[in-house]
Amino acid sequence: MLIRKLFRTAWQYRAQFLSMVIMVAVGIGVFLGFNIEWKSIESDVLGFFGKTNYADFRLYSETGFSEEDVRKIREIDGVDEATRFLSVVVSVKNDDRKTLTLHVSEDYTVSTMLITAGREYDPEADGFWLSDRYAEANGVRVGDTLTLTYMNLEISGEVLGLAKAGEEMICVAGENQLMPDYKTHGFAYIAPAKYAALLGPMAVYPQVNALSGMKKADLEEAVKTALGRTTMVVAKTEDMVYSEAMGESEEGKTMGSILPVLFLAIAVLTMTTTMHRIAANEKVQIGTLKALGFKDRRILAHYTSYGLVIGLVGSAVGVGLGYFIAWFIMNPNGMMGTYFDMDRWALVMPAFCVPVILLTNAFLVFIGFLSVKKMLRGTAAETLRPYQPKTVKKSLIERMPIMEKRSFGTKWNLRDVMRHKARSAMTLVGVLGCMVLLVGGIGMKDTMDSFMRILGDDISNYETRVTIADSAPNAETLALAEELNGDWQATAGVSYRGDTVMLNIYDASHGKIRFVDRNNKLMNLTDDGVYLCLRLKDTAKVGDIIEFSPYGSEETYRVRVAGYTRSVMTECISMTAAYAEEIGVPYHIGSVFTDTPAGEIGESPLFAGAPQAKAKILDTYEGFMEIMNLMIAVLVVAAVVLGIVVLYNLGVMSYVERYRELATLKVLGFRDRQIGRLLISQNIWLTLVGVLIGLPAGVGVLQWLLVALASEYELKLVLGPLTYLVSVGLTFGVSTAVGLMVARKNRKINMVEALKGAE
Amino acid sequence: MAIVEFRNVSRVYGNGEYEVKALDSVNLTLEEGKFIVILGPSGAGKSTLLNLLGGLDSPTDGQIFVEGRDIAGLTGDALAEYRASSVGFVFQFYNLIPTLTVKENVALVKEIARDALDPERMLAEVGLSDHLNQFPAQLSGGEQQRVSIARALCKNPKILLCDEPTGALDSETGVLVLKLLLSMAKNYGKTIVIVTHNQNIAKMADTVVRVKNGKIRSCEAQEHPLAAEEVEW
Repeated sequence: MLIRKLFRTAWQYRAQFLSMVIMVAVGIGVFLGFNIEWKSIESDVLGFFGKTNYADFRLYSETGFSEEDVRKIREIDGVDEATRFLSVVVSVKNDDRKTLTLHVSEDYTVSTMLITAGREYDPEADGFWLSDRYAEANGVRVGDTLTLTYMNLEISGEVLGLAKAGEEMICVAGENQLMPDYKTHGFAYIAPAKYAALLGPMAVYPQVNALSGMKKADLEEAVKTALGRTTMVVAKTEDMVYSEAMGESEEGKTMGSILPVLFLAIAVLTMTTTMHRIAANEKVQIGTLKALGFKDRRILAHYTSYGLVIGLVGSAVGVGLGYFIAWFIMNPNGMMGTYFDMDRWALVMPAFCVPVILLTNAFLVFIGFLSVKKMLRGTAAETLRPYQPKTVKKSLIERMPIMEKRSFGTKWNLRDVMRHKARSAMTLVGVLGCMVLLVGGIGMKDTMDSFMRILGDDISNYETRVTIADSAPNAETLALAEELNGDWQATAGVSYRGDTVMLNIYDASHGKIRFVDRNNKLMNLTDDGVYLCLRLKDTAKVGDIIEFSPYGSEETYRVRVAGYTRSVMTECISMTAAYAEEIGVPYHIGSVFTDTPAGEIGESPLFAGAPQAKAKILDTYEGFMEIMNLMIAVLVVAAVVLGIVVLYNLGVMSYVERYRELATLKVLGFRDRQIGRLLISQNIWLTLVGVLIGLPAGVGVLQWLLVALASEYELKLVLGPLTYLVSVGLTFGVSTAVGLMVARKNRKINMVEALKGAE
Repeated sequence: MAIVEFRNVSRVYGNGEYEVKALDSVNLTLEEGKFIVILGPSGAGKSTLLNLLGGLDSPTDGQIFVEGRDIAGLTGDALAEYRASSVGFVFQFYNLIPTLTVKENVALVKEIARDALDPERMLAEVGLSDHLNQFPAQLSGGEQQRVSIARALCKNPKILLCDEPTGALDSETGVLVLKLLLSMAKNYGKTIVIVTHNQNIAKMADTVVRVKNGKIRSCEAQEHPLAAEEVEW
């Protein structure tokens, strides 16, 4: 019989039950969604890296490694496997817009492929294993013939198979490309025999890839001892593919620790407030059951089961929602699918999620238990008396002279807020959560838009980027830059404080490359020192002397820090060409930036690939921005849902609790409109306070998020006036709309019914 | 002079098999300035009569004239306006707003009634000048009912409607409240309609209306009503 009562009570309080189920479901859904996401990235990516022998270390030498070198490296105690490796960007013949990164893994023990179609790997074969995603995007099939060009060399052969590779899990053409675009860029492997056949004795391997569990410093030392020279060693954590993938996992962890906490906290608070209210409203029924002879234990079990049912239904929906969120992000055609190219997209739930869900349910049951336990105190006669809210007293605010002349509505609402502190606090939390999500979400868009403006307009003030081949002499490149009226950049890896950072040397005399300071204002690099990117800002003050060593060189350079500059993507030290000449640091020009349109720049053996129009480079950011916009849309929807659910639940609760008072006002002659205004004005006041707290809180959360993302992007928090307006407007809109929905109910107040019985 | 006239008023709740006739073709005329008691057992229809007169409910059929105006067809704002200006209510359980002080509970009606009287004066007249800033929960039942009377009169309505006004009070306090109610009504020239099942209260009335099974059984004027202290409680 009590089971029937449970369902009928649930129907009676359907708005409250539904809002609690929704909040629990959203809380658990978001919690699981982000946690499954990061765990799946970690598990699937590491699994894929394992299958394709993703290198733990990459060793670089400009002059290349000999067979003797790699043998010595392989013999180092702690190195499991090592192979000579080549990785070079080549163009597709007759289509300058398309490029491929061509790899050769000499021993095929490290940095291998996972072949998805066609022939198995054969070190003697004379053909290509091509990226399956590139093949699909460009309609290339196994058996087709492919011709690639690198400088004056043509590399032709049959597509022997299609593959995925850990080294190319994030398949981008260079540091300026943020998201893969398989239409224009992919990768291919050729066998060492084909490489040798193409170049003969010129076939050098500038890279050794190794599998090893050693520490980077120990390996560096061991390689130095083995080869007798310093070698640039890059750990996988410094490699773009690994660090980006783990960065995504970390981002998921970050998101999985903020948003779910917010939603779960609101769910638990909603549950606490609502269960208490339901128990208070049910007090007479609880008393009746007690008077009928039901034992406290049975009554407790009955009402506690409300919490259990809400928890179970909410958790079941939440688990479904969580897997859906995770699948939405982590599937080959989903958000991560546009970023990662790997074989397995299994969703993996971290083990700790199960106890968290169980504990949440236990807590919800406990809340139900406590709410009823309180009502059961005393004799049956005492329990039979209706619940008495706390006797109201004048609050401190009311004792202020200014309050004396306030309208009755203001006083009524103020005292109602003070009398029902938990309900009011919950309304504030709902508004605050809504505001934080809106400011965070829309503010992120502002920040990213500003990032794109800086990248596209301020920093990249050129039309075309020409990538220069590694073999091109600087003198010829300088002549080319002069001819094109262009600026140039040289980039090399250096060791700074034990980490690998990029050293960027610029000639920006034509204003094609520009620099911005921490406030995103344009600035010039002076010739009297180096500029640290903002991520390295804390490592040295302006005027300090710092040291760095280029890889492959014994030299250490001591330089003065002249200032800081914002670097969009990489962690770097920047200096002018004049300062580089002054301190004598060697460099090789890697790119020329010019206003000459790509189509008007002829072919040259100096080029690595065809000149790229800036617009094309920026196009690759579009996919990234689409993902960003989608996440922002999700946040805005979540904010609105959160606002509606919490405010509607509390609004209805407030309405039910004040039903008798509202009926009295109606009897006295107050019109529906006037009563509606009273109800809405309380919402508006609480919303105003919530917004005032929520705005700085939202900015704070966004700032925190940007700090968490700082390892990947150097973003400056930018919030436009429209963001403030939209966030505040939307929050007030939600609050007013919910207020109106609740206020409409007062038309149905049954004055006769409401005024029966004592309060 | 008649202030209230019910013409063939019926009030039916539910429908079909579950139809309940709370009032069945009631005809009733009430005189201005009188103390009228509507008497009847539980379920007789007396509260329905009061609710219809107070504009809390609308009849299924018939007309209700108050000061010559038919209120039976009024809805929404027009009915609210009628409640605000023409009638004052005193309930068995006082129905005060717990979050407003004594003074604010009474002053509340100034927001809706055009000719409202001074709240502090009304409270002084019911003997609550010392309790202006207290909240209802800090008062006794009798005191709360006095606030309720002050609130009802503060609107300056023509008719005061009281639903079992002493029902929640002990007899001693009940007598005091009734005395106050009568003297206030007399001083301000109001018509009082009290609904009760207490036969003793009827002895104080100018007119006694007896209701049973949704019909008026009798409507008799009393030539010599007793004063509250003369009634044996």
